[in-house]
Amino acid sequence: MIEIRNLVKNYGKVTALDDVSFDVKKGDILGFLGPNGAGKSTAMNIITGYLAPTSGNVTIDGIDAVENSLEARKLIGYLPEQPPLFGEMTVKEYLGFICDLKRVPKKKRPAMLDDICYIVKIGDVRNRVIRNLSKGYRQRVGFAQALVGDPPILILDEPTVGLDPKQVVEFRRIISTLGRNHTIILSTHILQEVTAVCSDVVIINNGKVAKAGSLSDFVSADANVKRFAVTFDTGDKEVAEKLLSGVFKNYSFSRTDHGLLVYRFSTDSKSSGVKELFFNAASAGIALTELKPMEKSFEEEFVRIITSDMHDHREGV
Amino acid sequence: MSAVFKRELQSYFKSPVAFCIIGFFGILTGLYFWNVNLSNMQIEFSYTLGSLISFVVFFIPVITMKLFSEDRKNGTEVLFRTAPVSTWKIVIGKYLASAVVFACMLVESMICPVIMYFNMNKGGTFPLAMTVSGYIAFTLLGLAFLSVGAFASSVTDSQPLAAVLGVIILIVINFIETVGEHIKGTFGSVLVWLSLSSRYNNFVLGMFDFSALIFYLSFTAMMLFITIINIGRKRWN
Repeated sequence: MIEIRNLVKNYGKVTALDDVSFDVKKGDILGFLGPNGAGKSTAMNIITGYLAPTSGNVTIDGIDAVENSLEARKLIGYLPEQPPLFGEMTVKEYLGFICDLKRVPKKKRPAMLDDICYIVKIGDVRNRVIRNLSKGYRQRVGFAQALVGDPPILILDEPTVGLDPKQVVEFRRIISTLGRNHTIILSTHILQEVTAVCSDVVIINNGKVAKAGSLSDFVSADANVKRFAVTFDTGDKEVAEKLLSGVFKNYSFSRTDHGLLVYRFSTDSKSSGVKELFFNAASAGIALTELKPMEKSFEEEFVRIITSDMHDHREGV
Repeated sequence: MSAVFKRELQSYFKSPVAFCIIGFFGILTGLYFWNVNLSNMQIEFSYTLGSLISFVVFFIPVITMKLFSEDRKNGTEVLFRTAPVSTWKIVIGKYLASAVVFACMLVESMICPVIMYFNMNKGGTFPLAMTVSGYIAFTLLGLAFLSVGAFASSVTDSQPLAAVLGVIILIVINFIETVGEHIKGTFGSVLVWLSLSSRYNNFVLGMFDFSALIFYLSFTAMMLFITIINIGRKRWN
């Protein structure tokens, strides 16, 4: 549905995007991640036609979005980081104007606007002046704007920033619902949001794609490395570490839980050594009150990608 | 284009700015009408209009200052630049909305010649042709000034700066004639030729100057074209 090839964007001497390529398949919800200043908004601005790239191509449903921007824009609903609202208008007037701007046929408007207001739950503020609405409602009106004309692609730039936790959950629900019949690019730096709603992830850092793939690729990327947390029925660090060092090289103290020591260790699955630890501890008269495998979290993977990329970047410089 | 025009026009009349400008212009027109036409028994209203040009230089940039700079400041520019609407339609739509505000000023000022027209029964004839041609010139000049203001607004995201820039450009354009008259040779003639206000005088005398009409319209089209280029250029920055 969206093909991005070798996108480069320079602002003067600063390179905001450096050879960025990725695809978004029809019906996917793509999480577009990266630290501040990574180039997320620039990439989104290019996809939506707001900016033109220095070089590279964006193809939207077969349409060249750089050369034939007006046609491509018809397929996209865009919610920028700051919702583009006219404070002096009422919600009804504003959405009417968006319908005019996107040339939605007059006959279709009432039903479409009713649907949109129902989806983003703004039916009760339709006659209110936008300036007087709360941040959450303004964000919803911005979202409604993106939905006008029923575009098959939605591009949402940090849609939940500044919302309260209840509204965040509500927004994620809306995005998940819309994902059933839309292709969505969701830019965010809230990682739970990605794990909650996205099927695919692109991580961008320093203007380059650091990693791209399905969400499961990120969570179980190094499947052969197993990590465990173990709780020893003792408060004696020396004893616990002696037991661990007898079997594993990589272990670290985590915390003390009600006087008991909790350690983390990692091992590769082929020679796990977990059994050995268990029997060694038993023969030393120390029980293991808890021994559980730890899944690598998406947060950890994200931080690992970003920091290793930064490290590479510094070395490169 | 109609969507942009409608929205811009609504925004003009939802804020007090348009009403203040129209109202203040009405007061000034009334004062000049009283001073030039009533006190001095001057029958030609086009002279009064001519005197008002120096005020229009200040009024018009205030009308146009919001056209593009407001959207850039408020982040609503993204709405226009990501909607399936060409840049020229956005520029023309907004320009026409500002032209409606100017038209309101014109219509309001027409009260004065109308009063004169209906009070001519004690002898004398009302110079209808001169008044009409005076209004045509005033309208053309206003449209050209509006295009300068629109360009100034496309340059910056600060409305006050857009207004100041507009006033400066218009003052320079109006002074070109005076400067040109003092410079001998081709350069001086070119400056006089470039002046917007110099062409106004033929109309005031009741002559329909076809070349002036073409000049004003071409100037307006050129300024709007530069504005379109300036806004379109941002996509490539």
